Amino acid sequence: MLRHWYECKKPVKISKKPLTNPTEPIKKYDAIVVGAGPAGATAAYFMAKSGLDVLLLERGPYPGAKNCGGASLIAEHTHKLFPNFWDECECERIVTQQAYWLMTEDSILSSSFQSMKLAAAPFNRFTVKRRNLYKWLCDKAMNAGATLLLNHQVDDVIFEDSQAIGVNMAPQLNCRFLADIIVLADGANSLLAEQAGLVPQVSPQDLSLYVKETIALPAQVIEDRFNLPPGYGSIIGLVGYPTAGFNGTGSIHTFKESININVGMPVADFAKSGIKPYELLDRIKKHPLIKPLLAGGVTLEYGSSVIPEGGYHAIPELVHPGLLIVGDAASLVNGTHGFNLSMWSGFFASQAAYQAKISRDFSKKKLSLYQTLLNESFVIQDLKANAKMAGLQQRVPYLFNLYSQLANETAYHMSKVYTMPKRAKRVFIFKKITSIQPLTKIASDVWKVLKVIP
Amino acid sequence: MTNLADYLTLLHFTPDEHWQHVLITDQSICQQCRDKPCLTLCPSGVFTWNLHKSEPVLVLYKQCIECGACRLICDNINFSYPCGGCGVNFIEG
Repeated sequence: MLRHWYECKKPVKISKKPLTNPTEPIKKYDAIVVGAGPAGATAAYFMAKSGLDVLLLERGPYPGAKNCGGASLIAEHTHKLFPNFWDECECERIVTQQAYWLMTEDSILSSSFQSMKLAAAPFNRFTVKRRNLYKWLCDKAMNAGATLLLNHQVDDVIFEDSQAIGVNMAPQLNCRFLADIIVLADGANSLLAEQAGLVPQVSPQDLSLYVKETIALPAQVIEDRFNLPPGYGSIIGLVGYPTAGFNGTGSIHTFKESININVGMPVADFAKSGIKPYELLDRIKKHPLIKPLLAGGVTLEYGSSVIPEGGYHAIPELVHPGLLIVGDAASLVNGTHGFNLSMWSGFFASQAAYQAKISRDFSKKKLSLYQTLLNESFVIQDLKANAKMAGLQQRVPYLFNLYSQLANETAYHMSKVYTMPKRAKRVFIFKKITSIQPLTKIASDVWKVLKVIP
Repeated sequence: MTNLADYLTLLHFTPDEHWQHVLITDQSICQQCRDKPCLTLCPSGVFTWNLHKSEPVLVLYKQCIECGACRLICDNINFSYPCGGCGVNFIEG
């Protein structure tokens, strides 16, 4: 007995060799989220909140480093996920003005709505800087218990008989992480899902390339030029002239002390036309009616990103054994909601992940709760309703350009005072318009548009 | 006159000195390619080519802003993302 006691007292030598091989996983997580964007961070937050052990991986040095453009947050949708988020997240301006400008090279026909009704809680839209939004979401996820690793690039997903079981990090990190559920939120150019053979390569027609420029202007100047009360902002959609004859859109977002001009069209159209994206941006800035809005501004940043715009038919298979695809990677974007569809898809994925966890079943069947929740929500229903929109833009390639020209031409002759009786003027305008596009063609295009409107 | 060079000086890059993330797989295909859409499509002018000489298409990967559009229009371009922490960093959103 004494001998036993003596041996217990002897110091135990600890070998210098680490206990675990660096290539071996140190720990198995419940879920790994790839990409700390709106979709990924939302998924991580809700999973961590429901008690899952979550690892959030981001390849940038801070959340939002790899993304730019826009951007606006829809208040009601966000409020449902994160109540009173406007008290926590740093928003730039409360949007009280929404406008569409049909443009030609020298004129603008605008439809604009401005109301102080949109200025009171629960608000309608906010403009946000991506960096602030992403950081806030990631902080929330971390406070809920998720682990965020920055500068961590995922190389590929590890499979065991088609069941996703973890991720390999980039070679220089020399490590891998294992988990029961992998959530891919790696953005519009989702290389991971494509490499794993889970989704096909996205078509260049379904992905739009956007370029943006952030221009600094004093807050007062922005408010004067856009006719805004202090602290409020506007979002303007630009159609026609900005995309030089192709179907695409531009936009102006007002921030606290800067504005963003964005313009973009499908990658395929850029390739076909040979237009350089930054030349398109330059062209808008030189428009005689846009130029005064930007006068005296200092360019802060240029950037570009791709946005999935293929709509409902471009959505790939989102549920795989042990793996869910959310956000831009899942092509869940439509014209009105960008962030919000992403955030909701992250939320739905977290619900499915939680159910899978408590039943210890990570099969495709169990995880398809995600798909069911998506289908039942406004996310897929809205995308489905607009499903034919993307096709229409491809079938009528001149849609935006020609009709914004026709609208501007009509408006021009209407506002010009001629020395002719009104009746003759109407005939004159009619002849002008039909000389540009024959009546039968107009009628057929109108019919095509009416057919796709839900 | 476009000001791509001015635009690029405004951006914050952490260049990856050890690994080139955008590659052209086969230069001989580029010599045959008549359109070379990569030369105009890229928003940061990563692909450059001297029109008058039969030189290879150069890939200035350090000024890539990682939109990934190039990989969709050409199968000869091998695009992946730079290593974690490297590449472009957007600040203004």
